[in-house]
Amino acid sequence: MTFNEFKDKIFALAKKDGFEVQIEFNEETEFSIRYANDDIDQYTDASKFSVLVKVLKDGKIGSSSTETLENPEETYNEAVSSWKIIDSEEENFFFDGKGTYQSMETYVGEFEKVPVKEKIDFVKQLYQSAKCDEKIAMVPYALFQNFVIYKKLSNTLGLDLEFKSDGAYSFAMAISQDTSNHSGVWLKVGKKPNELDPKEIGKKACEEALSLLGAQTVESGKYRVILRNTAFDDMLGLFRSMISAENVQKNMSPLKEKLNQKIGSDVLNILDLPYHPLSISNRPFDDEGVPTKEKAIIENGVLKTFLHNLKTARKDRVEPTGNAVRSGISPINLYIKPGELSFNELLKKLGNGLVIIGVDGMHSGANPISGNFSLGARGYKVENGKIVGAVEQITISGNFLELLQNIESVGNDLLVTFGTITPSVLVKELDIAGK
Amino acid sequence: MLSKDIIKDIIGTVLKYGGDFAEVFLERKYENRFELKDGKLEKANTRTIVGVGIRGFLGTKAIYAYTNVLEKGNLLSVAKRVGEALGEVKVSDLVLNFDDKNLKNRHIVYFNPKDIEKDKKVDIMKRAYHFAKSFSDLIKQVAVMYWDYDQDVLIANSEGTWAEDKRVRTRLMISAVAEHNGNMERGFYGPGAGMGFEFFDRIDVEEAAKRAARIAVRMVDAEPAPAGKMPVVISNEFGGVIFHEAVGHALEATSVAKGASVFAGKLGQKVAADCVSAVDDATIPNAWGSANIDDEGTPTRRNLLIDKGVLVGYLIDKLGGRRMGMESTGSARRQDYTFAPTSRMSNTFILPGNYYPEEIIAATEYGLYAKTMGGGSVIPGTGEFNFAVMEAYLIENGKITKPVKGATLIGKGYEIIQKIDMVGNDLDRGQGMCGSLSGSIPADVGQPTIRVSEITVGGRNK
Repeated sequence: MTFNEFKDKIFALAKKDGFEVQIEFNEETEFSIRYANDDIDQYTDASKFSVLVKVLKDGKIGSSSTETLENPEETYNEAVSSWKIIDSEEENFFFDGKGTYQSMETYVGEFEKVPVKEKIDFVKQLYQSAKCDEKIAMVPYALFQNFVIYKKLSNTLGLDLEFKSDGAYSFAMAISQDTSNHSGVWLKVGKKPNELDPKEIGKKACEEALSLLGAQTVESGKYRVILRNTAFDDMLGLFRSMISAENVQKNMSPLKEKLNQKIGSDVLNILDLPYHPLSISNRPFDDEGVPTKEKAIIENGVLKTFLHNLKTARKDRVEPTGNAVRSGISPINLYIKPGELSFNELLKKLGNGLVIIGVDGMHSGANPISGNFSLGARGYKVENGKIVGAVEQITISGNFLELLQNIESVGNDLLVTFGTITPSVLVKELDIAGK
Repeated sequence: MLSKDIIKDIIGTVLKYGGDFAEVFLERKYENRFELKDGKLEKANTRTIVGVGIRGFLGTKAIYAYTNVLEKGNLLSVAKRVGEALGEVKVSDLVLNFDDKNLKNRHIVYFNPKDIEKDKKVDIMKRAYHFAKSFSDLIKQVAVMYWDYDQDVLIANSEGTWAEDKRVRTRLMISAVAEHNGNMERGFYGPGAGMGFEFFDRIDVEEAAKRAARIAVRMVDAEPAPAGKMPVVISNEFGGVIFHEAVGHALEATSVAKGASVFAGKLGQKVAADCVSAVDDATIPNAWGSANIDDEGTPTRRNLLIDKGVLVGYLIDKLGGRRMGMESTGSARRQDYTFAPTSRMSNTFILPGNYYPEEIIAATEYGLYAKTMGGGSVIPGTGEFNFAVMEAYLIENGKITKPVKGATLIGKGYEIIQKIDMVGNDLDRGQGMCGSLSGSIPADVGQPTIRVSEITVGGRNK
């Protein structure tokens, strides 16, 4: 059965039973090569599709997804039996597709044209560059991956949208060795092959690992700290969860009742961008078909909006913000507006303190409900504006909202990862546990 | 789903174009995920996935491809691409006679979740909600998640393996948030098993719900945990996540074969304190991380990893085995067909010692009692681990004195297992999801109560 036959069948079944129905078709292809021990460690060439069916009646949605088009009745019946058990009084609905969709180039198509041999050469170079020094004991990962996503969204209210996107990323990890091992990682995303340079990415991973040689722990205490873009990027995971209107409405965010209040320092400006030229996460519409749009989340420290899907927006009597994703609500590109200072100028401004280059344990040591975090960390010790040594086996602890208030400066060194674009930030005070 | 002839054709096609080994992994999985918040069922999704993973080896080089378009033409063209990517043709004349392993099923399921009405599952969730919510006035939010699946797999390879398995799993997860004086803390408990709906005859839903609520209530008014190095007593059951993260991952062939593990080349050597013995056992009937065969079709077994402090085994898959010159230990696992399998843990735990847990606390002058662990992670190349303690108390003069919150434990795995100085007699296992190269998979962690003489505790400085 073709997808269109499958869709027509389900639309017909739904009509008979008085349901509205929405069908999302997703197709993903993925190509990746991982290199280790001077050889290809893993090579993946893959494609798959899935179909998500949502039925709607009386404000309730039941859903079912499948990877086979052979049994539309079964898929439909599963969605209906899920619908039957929903008893939430919250009203759900579909979007009719009436809105202005920003036109954007999300599919470039260049990575697909690169021959496999060149991709293999890419990871070889990446691997070799990551081994830039004899103190590098090993390079456990050197990876290149490119993907293409195609999405089609239609419903019985007349919504009918499609979207194709592609991109690639490359990642290397190097391990340096003295009396113990130290890891250095580097990641870069790109829309076009010329945006990814294997030598540069490998060398960065290598330098990161070398920079931690001789690392020591520090005395426990309060320190002035630069959260370098690589570390702040990870920590923003906490913020993503806090600004979801769903979490706010469910009392699962420390930002409830904080709208239009000052929650961060004056120098802090955070936006959600549907499109950024260097991002591989750009989208013209969200998973409910609502147009995405640019908006300030924090402006000069003031919380301006939460992120909404259709349901949370209606509950708060505001317009949906185009941030629905399958798993809930998410920014498209969370963008921390850069400041004036370069990383070196941030170091000078820091004076004495620590630079944190990486954190561990975001999924366990950070609590998005309270904002409290306690994370493993590594980085450098700074004296008089100069890096004087490496630091590891420490933890940084605090509350993310206090941290936002304590941001003294925002750097201009933007780092682009998966849907997050952030510079480094200088924080007045953080708790460090070490010796 | 696919005939034996087509599978033979796929394997033959890979080897016709390249490689010395070819494998087909066919999967069909039916799964339910429900979410209840504030006592009302909010989300319900039922998902079916069907797909094929095709893998080829040439020596230690591996190519993986997957697709869920199961037409013969597409499957053979994917197989051809795998063979071509391997390059060198090694098998001139493949004669393939499948040897149906026909293993005895060790994991009997009485009520397949497919056959149970969805509203019965919701009833269980509502009971859990009720018991957690009514535990205390301080409990403001309760979320209950229900998850079950029924996965059928078939693995066939060019060595003649033809192995089928059914994995049924059921899990209930309760998350409770307590709020008091502007503080909010979350408690979580998520029991699961390799069982069908009969799981709910085996566990006490009331007890499970109250456990999540108790953690939140105890922690909400707790002081921040102290910071610095100190002795840490880690409670049994989910406390075993420390061994899982700090040691288990570094014993996987994925790390060992690359030399990326601190335990590479250390077989037969003393790596841990004398009181430490540990196993990975995928054969435990109906355990959360068990299976009859692994995801390469090798029968699972009980693997002794550390025996009285001496390293005696690794966790090995076929590809890792080729790289290490060792046999598979039946440890290949993957989330689903979209991942190539690799060496992973199943049910991993420290074996019991002689002390009663009370004796261990009483023998500790000052330190942290980590009663319930949160999750954690590790970098295998350096051995650095970190994990969050969800429920912790201070030990002073051999007594548990007060709750403390926000503690994180960090350290290096190979140092920690040398510093375990007391092992209790109260072995138990807890359920978790383990994420790594081959995706997110169910895994049991476990241990008796143990004491580590010194760990860095990340907390707040006064």
